[in-house]
Amino acid sequence: MTEPRIRPLPLVRKFDFVPEATIERIHEASLRVLSRTGMQIRSQTLVKALEAEGADTDLDALRVRFPRDMVEEAIERAPSSFTMFARDPDADVVLDGSSCYLTCDGCASEVVDPRTGVMRPSTKQDLMDTTRLADAIPEISIAWQPCAARDVPTHVQPLHELHAQLLSTSKNIQQMTVIQPHHARAAVDMAAVVAGGEEELRRRPLLSAFQCTLSPLTLDGGPLESAIIYGEAGIPCGIVVMPLTGATAPMTVAGTLVLQNAELLGAVTCLEFLSPGIPTFYGVCTSTMDLNSGSLSLGWGPEEQLYSFASAQLARRYRIPSQLGTFGTGAKTQDWQAGAQHALSGLTSYLAGGDMLCASGTVYGGRVFTFENMLLDSELLDIAVRVLEGFPDGGDELAVDVIDEVGPGGHFLAADHTLRHMRELWQTRFFGRESWEDWEAAGRPEPKHRARDRALQILEEHRPMPLPAGAEEELTRIIERHTEEGAIDG
Amino acid sequence: MGDLIRTLRDRLMAADRDGALTATRELLDTGEDPTTILQDGMAAAMLELGARWNRGEVFLPEVVAAAELFKKCSELVEPALIATGQRQEGHRVVMATVKGDLHDLGKNMVGAMMKTAGFEVLDLGKDIPAPAIIEAVRDKQPAIVGLSALLTTTVPEQRNVILALEEAGLRGKVKVMVGGAPVTAEWAKEIGADGFAPSAPEAIRVAQELLTAVSSTGT
Repeated sequence: MTEPRIRPLPLVRKFDFVPEATIERIHEASLRVLSRTGMQIRSQTLVKALEAEGADTDLDALRVRFPRDMVEEAIERAPSSFTMFARDPDADVVLDGSSCYLTCDGCASEVVDPRTGVMRPSTKQDLMDTTRLADAIPEISIAWQPCAARDVPTHVQPLHELHAQLLSTSKNIQQMTVIQPHHARAAVDMAAVVAGGEEELRRRPLLSAFQCTLSPLTLDGGPLESAIIYGEAGIPCGIVVMPLTGATAPMTVAGTLVLQNAELLGAVTCLEFLSPGIPTFYGVCTSTMDLNSGSLSLGWGPEEQLYSFASAQLARRYRIPSQLGTFGTGAKTQDWQAGAQHALSGLTSYLAGGDMLCASGTVYGGRVFTFENMLLDSELLDIAVRVLEGFPDGGDELAVDVIDEVGPGGHFLAADHTLRHMRELWQTRFFGRESWEDWEAAGRPEPKHRARDRALQILEEHRPMPLPAGAEEELTRIIERHTEEGAIDG
Repeated sequence: MGDLIRTLRDRLMAADRDGALTATRELLDTGEDPTTILQDGMAAAMLELGARWNRGEVFLPEVVAAAELFKKCSELVEPALIATGQRQEGHRVVMATVKGDLHDLGKNMVGAMMKTAGFEVLDLGKDIPAPAIIEAVRDKQPAIVGLSALLTTTVPEQRNVILALEEAGLRGKVKVMVGGAPVTAEWAKEIGADGFAPSAPEAIRVAQELLTAVSSTGT
């Protein structure tokens, strides 16, 4: 039996947990923020372009205020469903609200070496390994870059990162570190080399991307220009906002949601007026500030679950696919904290009906990537899938005949009915299910040890789909050219 | 002939009721040695299934279903075995769920699997008071007595049975195995039981070890 390349998670039900009236109040408040306060768009050229499209601008302050009509028009322009293609057509990701997909995160700056267990700065080789792991696991549908290539020249780092991703996966590649137009053009060139030309890339773009705002209410010029270049090439480009309650967002849950939503709609408005019809998504990694240290809270709790529920509902209101920051944990290893936080956020985002759930594989607030976590997260999602699928209730499942056959005081262990249905029972891959004695005898193994062993086995065995002939040389040439140009510029 | 033995093995492992019984009958009809049917066919299948269970390749319901089928096949082979005078008495085991406890599924599973491993099992049933167990040990002279208890409130009764065996002067004549969900190796040791197993297949292994120890020390 061959495993499927990707495993879309069925969205049988979506829970509108936040009251509809609250969602409307957040929506109305966000539109007020956009028309009254607006955003800073840090590029005179782009501010002028937005003014020509009807925005109310202050060129000196780089401030852009968005009239209500303009925002509503932008929401209309954004496609409500689209496909994120993969080099392997069996791994195409169809964002139409019927399925949810799991992706990695988040360009961690460190990895835990699976062989030594030591945390260290991540390298290009780590990015290739982590991406190859994502390529092998069906539960991971989108190959968002799990860690940064910190051992290459920084002026061409995004190109090396894309290079590592292209070599390591035939799933949809989600690029996030390209935030300058010249890098975006190079990224499009590189993707075209692998796709088999610009036209083929436009027909089936194997790349997707997103750009981030700077909370509160700021969008840099480079990311927006890069997004426009992606749009011209037919590559989807989402918007991801990461406000921090109490620091870069108001202290209240509702206020944070208003800021998040305003920022997202503002960025989507810029994008849909400067690159009309570009497929985009509603991406959020909204979290809270640690009240003691002022940095990102590592104690993920109820606020993050509420942000996920509300964000999925807001995205649905706008009929834009959502990408929810999920699997957040402040844990440093795969302990109770990591398990509890990943299980809670995973289940919440899934029940909320998010289209894409990200951050699989990370610990320490997304800063550190661990190989075993990606496997453990896939097991958690597997449980959520089985819950949402529900259970069949046909005649054989209601089991009246076998109940009669066994009768009072008997047992069902060896009944034909049991043998027929027992393989439907969910089976764990990583949870401990051995007896206490066996556990002691085996040296007290934990789920993370089984997951690490499996990760190492995958790294040993899994070979990604090879690139087309000549592509690798061409990719290297593109990177070399940019390396030299950058050196001359510098 | 070897092919039919293999077919019997495969069908028994797959818990294919009609298939295994048909293969057993065909083997008997063709005049195959009943000991060969029992050892190379049926017992080998159970041994292989036990090994697969140990490796996590099959589930317990499959093992129990095969064990129950083994019993049915044995009933077919038995007359032929008796006719050839080859039937050997297996080691005798007396089993009971102790007084106050009505849970007998675990004990039944162990019993069914012990039978497939060649033991002669005398199952006294559930909620059995100590005197009845003592009487059975005295009359039937088993090599092993197995005491099952599922509740923390009935587990102490295992100790009472062992004390009663001592009072009756029978403790040295029989090995005592204890089992049940709350039972641990520590508890077994504390009450002076000879063997403990956390699962049915493990119980077979422990029972065989106890008997090997008995025969090697000659007691």
